[in-house]
Amino acid sequence: MNFHKDILKIDCRQEADRICDFIRQQAVALRHEGAVIGLSGGIDSALCATLCVRALGKERVFGLILPEKDSSPVSQEYAAKQAAELGIRTETVDITPTLEAFGTYQKRDEMIREIFPEYDPHYRAKITLPPDLLSRDAFNFFTLTVDDGHGNIKTARLRKDKLNGIVAATNTKLRTRMVHLYYDAEKMDRFVCGTTNRSELMQGFYVKYGDGGVDIEPIAHLYKMQVYQLSEHLGVIKEIRERTPSPDTFSFEVSDEDFYFRMPYEKLDPLLYAWENGISAQEVCAGMDLNEDQARRAFRDFHSKYRATQHLREMPPSLVMAKR
Amino acid sequence: MRSFMNENALKVAHEGIGRKLRSFITSNFLPQSGLESFLDTDSFMEKGIIDSTGVLELLEFIEGEFAIKVEDEEVIPNNLDSLQKLTLFIQGKLEHAAQ
Repeated sequence: MNFHKDILKIDCRQEADRICDFIRQQAVALRHEGAVIGLSGGIDSALCATLCVRALGKERVFGLILPEKDSSPVSQEYAAKQAAELGIRTETVDITPTLEAFGTYQKRDEMIREIFPEYDPHYRAKITLPPDLLSRDAFNFFTLTVDDGHGNIKTARLRKDKLNGIVAATNTKLRTRMVHLYYDAEKMDRFVCGTTNRSELMQGFYVKYGDGGVDIEPIAHLYKMQVYQLSEHLGVIKEIRERTPSPDTFSFEVSDEDFYFRMPYEKLDPLLYAWENGISAQEVCAGMDLNEDQARRAFRDFHSKYRATQHLREMPPSLVMAKR
Repeated sequence: MRSFMNENALKVAHEGIGRKLRSFITSNFLPQSGLESFLDTDSFMEKGIIDSTGVLELLEFIEGEFAIKVEDEEVIPNNLDSLQKLTLFIQGKLEHAAQ
């Protein structure tokens, strides 16, 4: 295969048509007239909403904006602006009270306080993997960072039990959104449109029965860089296109790169493509500004994350046998 | 004579560390990896023996078992990505602490 730096360039018009055909076919197959989509203020959901409107018409697309107290303030603003641009109906539900009732913040904060006893709700917190895998090799271990609001920042490597506790609490945010999306979808006889892209899908960067709990995934074949290409072509608002991608679930803002991928999407996507297609590290380096050691390191990380998250991409194992 | 004894003591210590590590890895990580055994030089990551949460468990084990502190900067494949590397790394830390 001839690998080159523009290998992920797509014909946007053709791709948009292909995805819109897919959405229409799925609407028929699912026997639903329209779509419900969670608008996060990020580029993936903005693109999916745009594609659904092109495929089904604006009357058949409903946007749910589901902020919580750790969401960036601009997320809600950008989501509403994108919805207005598309002319779709939306509802905004602050899920903070639901999360408080479940104990999301309390459970997470208790975990953090076992590491930093001084931590209180005025602090900001995030978890990250070691930075810049391509510059410096390191295993994937998570570090908790807290900021007391006065610029005093502390960090600590997380033990497995603390990491699991923080992640489990944080994931309830995504799962609560899923409950809201399905409530509205069933009430309106619509399907829930997912927003996971290929970079996320292959690396397991989504939550089972959270943002992974949907009826269709119209952009799961597109790498993030292709999501940007298509978003620009289809007129997703500039504020969203220029925003740094983030999980938007921590009070201390963190990018996708810092939280999980350990490299920018411009490097991640072509490398991921190469890894998926069996292109050698040597060939990749000829097409990118990298050495073979860096490419191999990236491949090793992809392999490790792919394997560790394989269960997300599969149906729950069972003893059911196919009868036909 | 002294030199021989030191070398011998080091060898015994090395084997002891390796045995403890192999036992921990075999019982905690090997069943999930689908492997029945592994070589001292096998890469844990490439063989799928240890993933990101496995690394955390391994660090907890070696910090507790050998009473050493592993710094973040030391959590790199060169130190931890095979039984051989890990054993040498721990031995080096113990020797450094003893000096």
